[in-house]
Amino acid sequence: MIDEVTITSLNENALLVSFGNTIDVAVNQHVISLTVTLVNKPFSGFIEAVPAYSSLAVFYDPRVVRSKNNVRATASEFVTSYIREILDNTGKIRDHSNGRKIEIPVLYDGEDLAFVADHHRLTTDEIVSTHTSTLYRVFMIGFLPGFAYMGTLDPRIEMSRKTSPRTSVPAGSVAIAGMQTGIYPQASPGGWQLIGRTPIKIFDTAKSTPCLLSSGDTVQFVAIDKDHFDSLNEY
Amino acid sequence: MSIEILKPGLLSTLVGSERIGFRNVGVGSGGAMDTFAMKVANYLVGNAEQESVLEMYFPSCEILFRNTELISVTGKGFDVSVNDTPISSWKPIVVSKNSILKLNVRRNGGRAYVSVNGGWKSASWLGSFSTHLGVQAGGHFGQVIKKGAVIETSRLSNAKDSNAFNWGIASSELEKVYTPANEIRCIESIESNLLSQPSRTVFTSTEFTISNTSNRMGLRLSGRPMKLDRPINLVSSAVDVGTIQLLPEGNLIILMADHQTTGGYPRIASVVKADLPKLAQLNPTDQLIFKFIKLHEAEKLLMERQSQLEEIRKSCLLRMRN
Repeated sequence: MIDEVTITSLNENALLVSFGNTIDVAVNQHVISLTVTLVNKPFSGFIEAVPAYSSLAVFYDPRVVRSKNNVRATASEFVTSYIREILDNTGKIRDHSNGRKIEIPVLYDGEDLAFVADHHRLTTDEIVSTHTSTLYRVFMIGFLPGFAYMGTLDPRIEMSRKTSPRTSVPAGSVAIAGMQTGIYPQASPGGWQLIGRTPIKIFDTAKSTPCLLSSGDTVQFVAIDKDHFDSLNEY
Repeated sequence: MSIEILKPGLLSTLVGSERIGFRNVGVGSGGAMDTFAMKVANYLVGNAEQESVLEMYFPSCEILFRNTELISVTGKGFDVSVNDTPISSWKPIVVSKNSILKLNVRRNGGRAYVSVNGGWKSASWLGSFSTHLGVQAGGHFGQVIKKGAVIETSRLSNAKDSNAFNWGIASSELEKVYTPANEIRCIESIESNLLSQPSRTVFTSTEFTISNTSNRMGLRLSGRPMKLDRPINLVSSAVDVGTIQLLPEGNLIILMADHQTTGGYPRIASVVKADLPKLAQLNPTDQLIFKFIKLHEAEKLLMERQSQLEEIRKSCLLRMRN
């Protein structure tokens, strides 16, 4: 449910369109739909849009906004009314809220897999089958280049973050935290529970489109064995 | 046509323009900490503003020039010399073959930018020469520049020892950007209204000190602890250079060039874009004081800064031709 949409300045070159403070598929669908609508029909001076769980940041160049749109008020007022008009005229919002479906192979041999299983009094196989039997939505990408925040996890395997984060989590690690799951695209410090690793590079600087996933995509994890992992390994 | 880094300083990297259009996949704008000094360094040697420039930081740096080059040094907090003869910053200079350029840190120094006519040879990644240390792309092999590194220029230099330049950036132009050095203007941001009234008073009327755990990702401040009216858990959402976040223990962090694209801490204010170069030149133990201004004033300041840079660019181009 969308109670109320607020538009507030993050600073003098970005506005934040907020649909609440929540992790919710329907809310995130609104965020992605607005993102796609805006990107397909940008105003002069638009720079980029940054979707998150329940908000969208719209970056712009105030000088271009003012000169190209013949704005007498401030650029932020112009951009606010431009977005308000899209929101008020829902017919203009095209539903692109559900993106592609992408399968990601995972070798479930994570360092925390046994700990997570013990915590829930399940076997490691049950953790794997639960993790692979849910389709996850990419709510947003942030934290690291290509780090996709995905959800929502089956409550039976929900797990809080580690009390003391690891100083380095290897690239490709598949992890869970709270109601979320994610993949570390690069080696990084991190506090999520590691349950496996993917052989697929989900962020590749050698590619012109470096990031495999986009906000709004659906991800299906598929369990693979060690031989299969080795044959696919891109790291 | 190349230079050799004899002493690199702590965190020297090649920086180009901001990397635009990839925040939605978690790649921030990056680029120079002090974008004013970086752009002007390019203008002074006849380059486009997005050319690759050396950003040098504490403590001191030494560069051997293997060829005669037209360069400039901008930024703050360094005494600059060529073969131990002091030279001026913020002007074009010709450095002769086999000379040594030294940047000696003054007090605790700032950030200096060394440009060369034609630009330093750099890897371009996602439309920018800026080094992204996290994914090791762009700039000098995506890495911090180390002792012994050899950096090539992008094209052959036509600089001659006989070239002399008797012009530079007027101090009045620099004063507009860098003074008063410790007053940082800011505007309200997304969660400003959640700040408790006493904390708001602390924010606008007490000094904060830049802590020594600051880096290119952010400046951590120490000062009187602050808090929200009531605690709140925020889901992650976009942030930007200059966003001031309130950390759980009550201290502030100001996000800088290499910040993450999203965050979950309350955004209690935002440093105005026009004051980011000034902020980038502050150092650990420096004190600063915040002053709130209105959004429309910040927008006007940003446009004035863009016009100022445009004027400087034109005037450099004109003088370079004469």
